[in-house]
Amino acid sequence: MIELAHVTKRFDDAVAVDDISLHIAKGKFCALVGTSGCGKSTTLRMINRLIEHSEGDILLDGQPIAAYDPVKLRRRIGYVIQHTGLFPHWTVARNIGLVPRLLKWSAAEVQAKVDELMGLLGLPKDEFAHKYPHQLSGGQAQRVGVARALAADPDILLMDEPFGALDPITREKLQDELARLQAKMHKTVVFVTHDMDEALRLADHLVVMREGRIVQQGTPLALLQHPQDSFVESLLGGLERGLKQAALTRVKDHMAPMGPTLPAQSRIPATFSLRQGLSMMLRDHTDRLTVVDQHDVPVGELTLRKIVKEAQPEQGKARES
Amino acid sequence: MSHDALSRSLTARGVQQAKWPAIWLVLLMACVWGFPYADGLLRIIEPDSSQVVYQRASLATLLVQHMLVVSAAAVITVVGGVLAAIVVTREWGRNFLPLVSQVASLGQTFPPVAVLALAVPALGFGTLPIIVALVLYGTLPIVRNTLGGLQDVDKEVKSASVAMGMTSWQTLRQVELPLAAPVILAGIRTSITINISTAAIGATVGASNLGDPIIAGIVNGNMAYIVQGALTIALLALTVDSLFERLQERLRSRLYTA
Repeated sequence: MIELAHVTKRFDDAVAVDDISLHIAKGKFCALVGTSGCGKSTTLRMINRLIEHSEGDILLDGQPIAAYDPVKLRRRIGYVIQHTGLFPHWTVARNIGLVPRLLKWSAAEVQAKVDELMGLLGLPKDEFAHKYPHQLSGGQAQRVGVARALAADPDILLMDEPFGALDPITREKLQDELARLQAKMHKTVVFVTHDMDEALRLADHLVVMREGRIVQQGTPLALLQHPQDSFVESLLGGLERGLKQAALTRVKDHMAPMGPTLPAQSRIPATFSLRQGLSMMLRDHTDRLTVVDQHDVPVGELTLRKIVKEAQPEQGKARES
Repeated sequence: MSHDALSRSLTARGVQQAKWPAIWLVLLMACVWGFPYADGLLRIIEPDSSQVVYQRASLATLLVQHMLVVSAAAVITVVGGVLAAIVVTREWGRNFLPLVSQVASLGQTFPPVAVLALAVPALGFGTLPIIVALVLYGTLPIVRNTLGGLQDVDKEVKSASVAMGMTSWQTLRQVELPLAAPVILAGIRTSITINISTAAIGATVGASNLGDPIIAGIVNGNMAYIVQGALTIALLALTVDSLFERLQERLRSRLYTA
């Protein structure tokens, strides 16, 4: 659990972070979003004491972080950055095993952990263990970066625009994998990004920052439905807010039982989002889709009418996964 | 490629690389042991003098003395230069960065001859003044390259090493120094190679080394003496320089296979 209470950071006279309070529950995924220079990265780096805060309290499991030795503190907090910061003179395997070795794990334990993580992150050991960072693609390098951050089994993971430098396809793939890993491992994640879609997709808790202050925080759906002001609204996509909200809602929660009419030609899996459903309707010039389960068996139908009429689902339902 | 073929081709490349230091070394030895018997050859260069083979000391002795002087200066410059550069790139030593880089530059702007002239009254004749001159002259390339090498280490890599929980000593030892090593070694190579030739002027203040035949040749107008000293120094410089090149290659390949 991470708690920030009235935290302020000044660089000389400039205020980078201004009296923010934030509570991140254990196992939650918290995304900090905002325009460049809004203090989101600074906030992140204060948590592992790469930057020392000027005022207020930052608590980790109830203990002020100032009470921890910074080196020991950082070894128990995973950290991922945009350009990976992998050591260019070390192999992939050695890079991943860095923190366990710092913690004096035995060679066998380190080896086992490295193997496990390479498997978990889709890096076949035979192919990648002995490669050097310069031999990897951007996506592969960031997988190694994530594996390195997870190596010592930290409870907390700090991620500073980890997918910002990747192409859209790779980015989306890694976002999916991160969501999959998070569903399995339940780390407490603080994730900085300026990509709103990424934040909406991954976060349980969304924090919008502007000029060092927190403008609004809450679940992604709550923010989409009730943005506090025009800044939050424009950051959330302005007119596209409807679509972003549809992207967070699954077809399953909106389908109607099969009607008496013939099933529609176009089929959509129940786990897809309403946004994908809408897109499919536009593509196929139809206002009806047949919803199918994972075995391609029809289980219901989705109509345009229903999507539009019931654009406000119960919040709890939409965020379940 | 089969394992055998691979190792064979590696050996072949190794021989290729090992070739130059060996060639220069053989030529150097040929000069040192051959000149005393090359009376006829040297007479072609210097037909007028009664004596053409330098005989005040054996070239072998002078060579050893030359190398000792250069090595002594090298130990001081490498240890001092690298340490100074490490200190001023640390958080707590940053204030001394301008001072150290200026002192290092200043050392090289002083001509070694001038340093000798100034050092002799203080330190007397002999080997000491020339070591001082070489240290001043040879510090800059080492300090400059060590500074450059350490400062060029990717900031993200350094910041990642801190964020992962490495101590500053671990960062220096495991990240910064290995990544800066090729550049540092290049500085050491420049410094030592320059100092091998610069050391010859020590002969003017009584340090006995390979500069002796050159100075004696200039004083007596004996071109054969000059050739013996100059050629031996040149071959020594080439041998050492090619050895460093090999070392750099090995370091480069080790850096990405360790």
